[in-house]
Amino acid sequence: MSEIAVTTKKNQAKTEYKPEHSTSRGKKIFLVILLLILLSFPLMQFVAGGMNYWLHMALFIFMYIAMASSWNIIGGYAGYTSLGHPVFFAVGGYFTGTLLVYFDVSPFLSAPIAGLVSMALGLLVGLISLRTRGPAFIISTIALVMLVRIIFDNWDYIGGTNGISTPLIELPLELAKFPFYYYMLLIAIAAVYVSYRIRHSKFGLGLRAISQDETKAEVAGIPTSQYKILAFGISGLFVGMAGGLWGYYLTYLKPDIFLLIIIAAKLVLMTVLGGKGTVAGPIVGAALFILVNEFFVSNFGTTELNIAATGLLLALVLIFFPKGIVGTLKEKGKLPAILDWD
Amino acid sequence: MTQAIQVIIFGATLGGVYALMASGLTLVFGVMRIVNIAHAILMILAAYIAFYAFQLYNLDPILSVFITIPVMFLVGIIIYKLFFSLISAEDRKGELTVLLTFSLAIIVEGVLGAQFGNTYRSANPGYASEAILVGSFIIPKGQLYATILSVLLIGLLWLFLKYSRIGYAIRATMQNQSAAQVVGVNVERMSMIAFGIGIALAGASGSMMSFLFTFYPGKHWEFIAILLSLIVLGGMGSLGGAVIGAFLLAILSALVGSYIGFTWSPITFFLALFIILLFRPQGLLGKKEDI
Repeated sequence: MSEIAVTTKKNQAKTEYKPEHSTSRGKKIFLVILLLILLSFPLMQFVAGGMNYWLHMALFIFMYIAMASSWNIIGGYAGYTSLGHPVFFAVGGYFTGTLLVYFDVSPFLSAPIAGLVSMALGLLVGLISLRTRGPAFIISTIALVMLVRIIFDNWDYIGGTNGISTPLIELPLELAKFPFYYYMLLIAIAAVYVSYRIRHSKFGLGLRAISQDETKAEVAGIPTSQYKILAFGISGLFVGMAGGLWGYYLTYLKPDIFLLIIIAAKLVLMTVLGGKGTVAGPIVGAALFILVNEFFVSNFGTTELNIAATGLLLALVLIFFPKGIVGTLKEKGKLPAILDWD
Repeated sequence: MTQAIQVIIFGATLGGVYALMASGLTLVFGVMRIVNIAHAILMILAAYIAFYAFQLYNLDPILSVFITIPVMFLVGIIIYKLFFSLISAEDRKGELTVLLTFSLAIIVEGVLGAQFGNTYRSANPGYASEAILVGSFIIPKGQLYATILSVLLIGLLWLFLKYSRIGYAIRATMQNQSAAQVVGVNVERMSMIAFGIGIALAGASGSMMSFLFTFYPGKHWEFIAILLSLIVLGGMGSLGGAVIGAFLLAILSALVGSYIGFTWSPITFFLALFIILLFRPQGLLGKKEDI
């Protein structure tokens, strides 16, 4: 509780004394430069060419930044570890994919709606699952993944276990990745921005109170049920949008690709590695994990041992590095200002 | 009606096996408050042991429990030493341990996948494809033997917990850890033994699994989700609840499989989980504070 009291004071100090300057000038300039770099990065295609691999890596990282940041809202801020996020990812992907295949609706239009559908599902599931705490909640999210998996595997309209193929985007090869790149960037920015805003709101403060002591939070007058359910819903929003785009990008949808618990494991790992409950943590964790993973895959090939390595890394981080990169640096007072958004 | 009874027979003869699978999981939760997500992948590890013992040395999968039980007991002790002695008792109760066993599950899945590939395996002793005719009803021999042995093992576990000295200590730890410590129970040691027994039960389940189901490393997610549903339904930490839940849902899922479609049958377990969470989050025989 004492930590809450301290952070409350800090927040008050920020909002009361310097409401407009809570983000320093240097950080703003950094953000603008970063944005310009990211926006102009694909243009290298015209200068150097052969950038498709790097565009793919970048948009893959954007996707996981969006998803890990979203996961962090329920898993980090509220402290409710969900392993059910692959469901949001799959629902988003199949929503836009089905609309594209059967009704010719572009996923670029339907992705935001896919996000809302995932969010609605999150609210509905949250209503039931969030009646439990701790281990029982985690169990219910695992069961959710298996439940949806059975439905998708048996639903012929969406292709069952074989999945469905979606048409390729009609662009020349060197331009084909552009719309996905910018769209994923947009989703990532939106997710991080929402995560940041929640972190600095009364809602976010309530979520953090829940993560520390839910009973006391409830006694203190925080509407814990509504907060948790809303956090779970918002958490599903961007994951659904990312999924909605990812299926179109891959050009096929399969339960085997979307409904994997290992995706949830990655989200947990990225967030904990970067710093659970911090704004910058999931970004750092996602980028680092994907780059390291890619290094191993390109040097040693994809084998089942990659799965084992992911698990081993998760265990090591959980035992020896539970506060993650951002959390640990902050504790030591060595966190660079550009990573300090809490 | 005859068809329904036949289906119920099929379900009930699987129920004992599910109960055995769930008993280790619920024991570990009861004693250590740890939800062991790696339980099912360890079952599959044992199933591979039983499978290869049968393939290479022609050892009967049912008799392979004499190998899988002690081997998996040791595996359990090693896991306990490696994973849980590193974190403080206070941290253990929470989500950290769930995530640790989750990582363990992924590690073992990856290693098994690298070693054995994703080929579907199943041991095929003679009785696995034979049946006993009782009147007009068919009782599959393999399932019957497995369920009888499972119920026997659960009975032994119950007797052990009820009457042995270590059993007393384990039950005391289950009821109230700090009080048990006060009266001189070595909680740390009891936790380790209970975890070992839990994994040994997973080992025995693996032996049954090797000839009752086709298995491959990735299959454990489905099994763990089923088993977790069972123990939530029965009340987490309650052995009796797990057994009741197992028979109930095994029969129900057999009915679903028969009347709606074979591939739909596992959905029974997950739907049951959500329904029980909605109406009675503590489970059938659970106490309120367990959830």
